[in-house]
Amino acid sequence: MYELIGIWFIVLLTLSIFSYLYGDNPFYKAAEHIFVGVSAGYIFTITFWDTIWPNLFGRLFPSYVKAGFEFDIIYVFPLLLGIFMLFRLSKKYEWLSRISIAYIVGMAAGLKFYVFLNSNLLTQIQTSMIDLSGTYASIINDIIILIGVLSGLVYFFFSKEHTGTIGKISRIGIYFLMIKFGASFGFAVMGRVSLLIGRFEELIEFSKPEYYYSTPVILVVMIVVLGIWSFKYNDENKEKTV
Amino acid sequence: MNQIKSILIKLGQIDRRYIFLLIGLSVLIPLLKPSWVNIPIKATDNSKIVFNELNNLKEGDRVLLSFEYGASTKPEIHPMSIAILQHLFSKGIKVYTIPLWPEGLMMANYALDEVIESQLFDVKEHIDYVSFPYKAGGSIVIRGIATDIRSIYTQDINNTLLESIPMMEGVHNITDFDFVVDLSAGVPGNAEWVQYACDEYNVPLTSGCTSIMVTDAIPYVESGQIRGILAGMPGAAEYEQMVFEYLNNTPNRKFINDDVSIIPGSATSRMSAQSIAHLLMVVFIVFGNISYYLVRRRNS
Repeated sequence: MYELIGIWFIVLLTLSIFSYLYGDNPFYKAAEHIFVGVSAGYIFTITFWDTIWPNLFGRLFPSYVKAGFEFDIIYVFPLLLGIFMLFRLSKKYEWLSRISIAYIVGMAAGLKFYVFLNSNLLTQIQTSMIDLSGTYASIINDIIILIGVLSGLVYFFFSKEHTGTIGKISRIGIYFLMIKFGASFGFAVMGRVSLLIGRFEELIEFSKPEYYYSTPVILVVMIVVLGIWSFKYNDENKEKTV
Repeated sequence: MNQIKSILIKLGQIDRRYIFLLIGLSVLIPLLKPSWVNIPIKATDNSKIVFNELNNLKEGDRVLLSFEYGASTKPEIHPMSIAILQHLFSKGIKVYTIPLWPEGLMMANYALDEVIESQLFDVKEHIDYVSFPYKAGGSIVIRGIATDIRSIYTQDINNTLLESIPMMEGVHNITDFDFVVDLSAGVPGNAEWVQYACDEYNVPLTSGCTSIMVTDAIPYVESGQIRGILAGMPGAAEYEQMVFEYLNNTPNRKFINDDVSIIPGSATSRMSAQSIAHLLMVVFIVFGNISYYLVRRRNS
């Protein structure tokens, strides 16, 4: 029974979101608000019970939480930094939250600097070189990649005016970038169509008699309600204009 | 000629709702009538690399499977998860699932449940697979797994202590895994696994990701930092097909229950709808550009 209610709710929310293709309407608004509320609630709950409770309180009160961690006094500092973060809600003590933010920024920047330098800069420079021991096809590929990298870098070099040779090289860089954007757009379309297929598959599945024809029933009800709403809304708008 | 031009200009100014309708129909019809459109699937080199890399693993090897996707990207990534789990279990490989997204926990459970309920493999929790709970922190969690997994995780999702789980014996950091498979739809995702764990500790990594992430991940694939990539739904369909053929034809049937019929995955059946929608998009782009060009020329 509960599963069936859940399925009808899935269909209703999916069709409510799809209804935005017609225009902004109460079904879409309701589905949007439910999504935001449920997501926030779910993330808060799971973060508290799966991370804060065992990993923080489990180290400060190990005999009570019983998460398998031993007592560690140093975890008082993360607790304090977390409490400071909540002071963003207070005008008087908001400055305390900056200590927490400073810690996060400093730690993340330091960690990111090293890993980015290692994986994205040094390794990528190394692999942008032409491997002359490869096949003809791989050498040609390597040359194209090298030209792309160099011309792309020249395009983002703003200390010199993009005229003459620099201008021509940066032009090549633009072409490489345009191909990249084209590929990104193509992949984005592919991704969105895949998601549409996923939703349609479920809607088709839930049209079956074992689900009491949930998709066609909800679809018809929504069209009727939207039709009535649309006429009413238009009339109200006309009255306001008059 | 002028009549053709005016038709093309009008096509470019068509109400976008008709375009939505046509895209919807192009997806809906092949899903309702799959026999009408049958487009063959040919595995790309990157999908083959992923398959071969995982196929080279031996019985008892440890694979860390990272779930970084949710309900919104489930149609693209979930078929990959199922096919990868089937492939790994068919070879007697130990699987460790780690969700780095809040919804990843649900996705990992759904994928495991689906594979276990198929009864194709006789797998048992804590012997063949272990599921870790979600931990907030993204890249910091990856860093923690790389250096000391027990500083972050002390229990699995059922609150069983890691010390009492047989397959956790000897697992302390990322180097204790033979392979990392990342199934991602955003951040943290494959880039974070490359940067924070696998590059530095030299642990092989492969990834299945959403189509939109592919262009950003390709430099890592070209450099060998990620070994092959499953790109969106086509990648999932290709992998599904390779696993389907492998499960049917492999002589090593030690871990496969032959009494259960092997069914092809869900991504394969979706590819016809995907291809038709793509063809329609190409037509729209071509006509849209012609119309735009004609309008610009007329105005100038």
